[in-house]
Amino acid sequence: MRVGPSQDEIRRQNLGALLRHVHVHGATTRAELTNTLGLNRSTIGALTADLAAAGLVTEGAPKETGRAGRPSLVVRPESERIFAYAYSIEVDRLRAARVGLGGAVLDRRELDRPRGLTAAEAAPLLAGAVKEMRNALPEGAVCVGAGVAVCGMVRRDDGLVRLGPTTGWVDEPIGTALGAELGVDVPVTVGNVADVAAFAEHARGVAAGCDNVIYLYGDVGVGAGIIAGGRRLTGHGGYSGEVGHMVVARDGVRCECGNRGCWETEIGEHALLRAAGRSDARGREAMLAVFDAAGRGDARAQTAVRQAGDWLGFGLANLVNIFNPEMVIFGGTMRDLYLAAAAQVRSRLNSNGLPACLEHVRLRTPKLGEDAALIGAAELAFERLLADPLDVG
Amino acid sequence: MSATPLLELRGIDKSFGPVQVLRNVALSAYPGEVTALVGDNGAGKSTLVKCISGIHPTDAGEFVFDGRPVSINNPREAAGLGIEVVYQDLALCDNLDIVQNMFLGREKRSGIVLDEPTMEQMAAETLAGLSVRTVKSLRQHVSSLSGGQRQTVAIAKAVLWNSRLVILDEPTAALGVAQTAQVLELVRRLADNGLAVVLISHNMNDVFAVSDRIAALYLGQMVAQVRTTDITHAQVVELITAGRSGGLGLAADTGANGNGAPADSTTGGVS
Repeated sequence: MRVGPSQDEIRRQNLGALLRHVHVHGATTRAELTNTLGLNRSTIGALTADLAAAGLVTEGAPKETGRAGRPSLVVRPESERIFAYAYSIEVDRLRAARVGLGGAVLDRRELDRPRGLTAAEAAPLLAGAVKEMRNALPEGAVCVGAGVAVCGMVRRDDGLVRLGPTTGWVDEPIGTALGAELGVDVPVTVGNVADVAAFAEHARGVAAGCDNVIYLYGDVGVGAGIIAGGRRLTGHGGYSGEVGHMVVARDGVRCECGNRGCWETEIGEHALLRAAGRSDARGREAMLAVFDAAGRGDARAQTAVRQAGDWLGFGLANLVNIFNPEMVIFGGTMRDLYLAAAAQVRSRLNSNGLPACLEHVRLRTPKLGEDAALIGAAELAFERLLADPLDVG
Repeated sequence: MSATPLLELRGIDKSFGPVQVLRNVALSAYPGEVTALVGDNGAGKSTLVKCISGIHPTDAGEFVFDGRPVSINNPREAAGLGIEVVYQDLALCDNLDIVQNMFLGREKRSGIVLDEPTMEQMAAETLAGLSVRTVKSLRQHVSSLSGGQRQTVAIAKAVLWNSRLVILDEPTAALGVAQTAQVLELVRRLADNGLAVVLISHNMNDVFAVSDRIAALYLGQMVAQVRTTDITHAQVVELITAGRSGGLGLAADTGANGNGAPADSTTGGVS
């Protein structure tokens, strides 16, 4: 019979909480840690000593405070030494990065991804980028794990990419493939790009402190990372947030998933390029060219952008009515669509949304920008460290 | 989203000779929010801003700043309250670098020489606080910056002085699409950092992209100030061009000659 958590469990919990605090908030004085964590001073001192001995944090004198009294020591995460590898597999490119504890991108590589490249083919490319970064590692650097952000539906249990309609992947074991290529015994965690970007913006971006957030990520398709009540909404198998396949038009355009009238057939890359009369073009650059043309007065591009903006507001109103978020973040190409067609997006949202749900919703663009996917992927890897700091470090 | 406005104007009148430019204007700006000030050419937007910043004295009306009645008689008093204005032409010196521009006329000194390290550090901290990543070196001459970067420097200059209310006059005019997006994000970030922001713009996209409230001026009268969640694009355009839209704006019978009292000028509801 369990009577309560053991001393060890409490200690592990406290170590994790302290490390998480400096990981998310950066250098913090012991005095502040004492206040925010609600532990007494000697406990904070002992925990810090343990983490410092494990090489996860350092302690140092603060800058001059200009106040009387002995200044409290500052606890800093070992950002240069402790790191995770982060990968982002997008429709048109592959990215690999080394992200330090504390969330700073220390090193990065970017590769073009031909559309149709499979996981087995992508893994060696990413591994090559990692080998390059590994050659430039500073002395004593420790890798605590790897995270992957991928455009596709990811099975929560084992990181299998079940279906990536936009990448053309079906049942691709990207995590295993990458693990095999890297040849190191660090675990690889896989997540959907919108989910991990939401995670990153929630931890250290524009949504810090918000507990109900929708991160809408767009490229060819559209997906959402949803945070409800401060937790990531993953669904039973990990596949939730496929808002791009919400059907908005009964006899609409055929979608890559096989259905007709999915939301992404009205606001995704194909829809915008088709409406702008540029069906031959592809990719993010082609989309940005449409926004640019609209800004310069190209009437057809303007109509395409306005129409897509109206549809964006249409689906957004549904999401806002269902989830009642306090913030919606537009990432990927949705950022550019929102900023280029905000008048249409908001007007449609305001007419279709329920007044009570609209009251507190804030529409924002990402603070971390395109790095959100990489930082979020790294957060997946850091989660293990934060759960049990002394075991991993 | 604060309930009490940082700046509240009531009953502002302003005439230039026989021409009455502002007529019983009310405007509220809230900390943490972007208030968009919209109106046609000649509606009185720029005059209103010049009254707030102390360039033009007003004929009548009261200013309440942070709950206290104040009078703003010159730009120095406005700056003293923490009101900064970024004008359309930016007022930057091309032949000076970013730090010099940000501290122009208000340089920090240590003894008899300029305290360059402190100024450089403050400038760097301000830009970092706004998550500005597009500027490579603080010692770059402004002449070498793009339009969007110049706008960024002008805005950073305005927030450097612990300002509390920043007024931006058409910050995205004459910018390309990508740079407009960056400046809009910057405007939003100012408010998210706790400042009250007044954004003057002709561009409905910019207004809807970042604002929390929209205040519409029509022929010198404030015809409506509503929350951005309560209004559509078409309604704002009607307010700008006709002074009313449905239940919003000027009362129907007096709208045409502009003599009527503005209806629903301070509360936010749409009937």
